[in-house]
Amino acid sequence: MHPWPKPPGGPHYSVCHFCDTLHDATALPEGKAARCKCCGAVLYQNRPASLARANAFSISALILMVVVHSFPFLVMDAAGIRTSLNLASAAKALIHEGSPMLGIALAFFTIVTPLVLAGGLVYVCAPLLIGKKAPGAMIVAKWMNKTEPWNMIEVFLLGVLVSLLKLSKVADVHFGIGFWAFGALMLCMAAAVAGIDRDELWDRLEVAKR
Amino acid sequence: MSELFPKAATYGLAGCHTCGKVSPVALGHCPRCGSHLHLRKSNSIQRTVALMIAAATLYIPANLLPIMTVVELGDVTENTIVGGMITFWKSGAYPIAIVIFTASILIPLLKIVALTWLCLAATGKLHPSPSMLGRVYWFTELMGRWSMVDIFVVGILVALVQLGNYMTITPGPGALAFAGVVVITMFAAMSFEPRLLWDRLAMLDDTPSPSNPSDL
Ligand SMILES: [Zn+2]
Ligand SMILES: [Zn+2]
Repeated sequence: MHPWPKPPGGPHYSVCHFCDTLHDATALPEGKAARCKCCGAVLYQNRPASLARANAFSISALILMVVVHSFPFLVMDAAGIRTSLNLASAAKALIHEGSPMLGIALAFFTIVTPLVLAGGLVYVCAPLLIGKKAPGAMIVAKWMNKTEPWNMIEVFLLGVLVSLLKLSKVADVHFGIGFWAFGALMLCMAAAVAGIDRDELWDRLEVAKR
Repeated sequence: MSELFPKAATYGLAGCHTCGKVSPVALGHCPRCGSHLHLRKSNSIQRTVALMIAAATLYIPANLLPIMTVVELGDVTENTIVGGMITFWKSGAYPIAIVIFTASILIPLLKIVALTWLCLAATGKLHPSPSMLGRVYWFTELMGRWSMVDIFVVGILVALVQLGNYMTITPGPGALAFAGVVVITMFAAMSFEPRLLWDRLAMLDDTPSPSNPSDL
C-alpha cells in the first residue's frame, strides 16, 4: 500500500463528477480505483509508480515529437512527382489552399495540444519527484486540464490510414518513419496522461514545497 | 435514496472541476487552484440546447457542400462526405466505408440525439434509468472527437496530392462547416451538467438528508 501524501487538514472528501455523491476520500492501495457508490463512475485511482511513469512516458513523448516532426508519415510517388506528408505540411497545405481556419485547427489538435500535455506533465511532475513544486505549476496543470479533450492524435492516425486507402488506387504510397513514431507517440501520450490520477497530481502539488 | 447517497450540494459543498478538491461553495473560488466553484454549471440546459441547434443547423451545409475539390487532368469533381463514403462502399472497401459512416454521420447524429435526450431527461420530460443515463453521457463525452477524422483526411490529401496539371486537391467549404459541427458538439457536451439528471431522480424520491457531512 503506497498512498500518496494528503494535504494537511481534512476531512478529505471526493465528489462524483457525474452524480454529485459525496464520499470520504480514503487512501487506496496501488493499482486500485475508488468508484462512486451511487453510479459506479471512477472517483480517483492510485496509479502504480505514478510520478515515475508520468515522467518517463511524457519525456518519451517529447522525444518522439521531434522524430514525428522530422520524418514524413506518408511518401507518395505519382506522375513522376514525389510528395511527402507530416503534421506541419498538412496544416500548411490547408492554410495555403484556401482554408486557413482548418489548418490552424489541425495544427492545434495534433501539434499544440500534445505538446502542452506532454511538456506540461514533465514540467509539473519532474520537480514533484523530489517533492518540489515548479514555479507556476498549478497554472500549467490547469492548462493541461483544459487542453486534454482536444488532443486528437489517435484520430489523426486513423485519418492517415483512411487517406492511404484512398490514395493507394491512384498512386504508389508507403509509410515513412514519421508514421511509426506517431503511433508510438499516441501510445506514450495515452500512458503518460493515464500515468497519474488528477486528484493525486493536485494533492501532491498542494503538499509540495516551492 | 438521498439518505444512502448523500449529495455534496446538500451540504453546500462543491467538487472543483479542475482539481477535484471539495470545498464549501460559499468560498466562490477553489482554495487550491483558484477555479470558479459552483454547485451546478449555470444555464447548462439553455447553453447545451443553443449549441445543439447551432450544430444541427451547420450539419446541413456540412453534408451538402463539398468537403474537397479534386481536379484531375482538367476534370473537376466535388466530393461530399456521403459521396466519399459511397465511393468506398462501391469499390468494395467495406470496413473503411463503415469507419467513415460511423465517424462522420452516425456519431454526430447520435450525439445530437443523445444530448437532446439528456436535456429532456434533465428537465423532467423523460424518466430513463440511471445506468442508461451513464452510458449515454459517457458516449457524448468521449466519442465526439472521432468525427474529426474526415477533416484530417482532407488535410492529408490536400498536402499530398499537389501534382500540378495531373491532379490537385483543395479543401471545400463543407470541411469547415463539418469541423464546426464537431467542435460545437464537443462544447455542447462540455456545457451539459449531468448532476441535473440526478437532481431530477432525487426529486422523485425526496427523503430528508442528514444535515452534517460527518454522518457519512
Ligand atoms: Zn456517481
Ligand atoms: Zn480547484
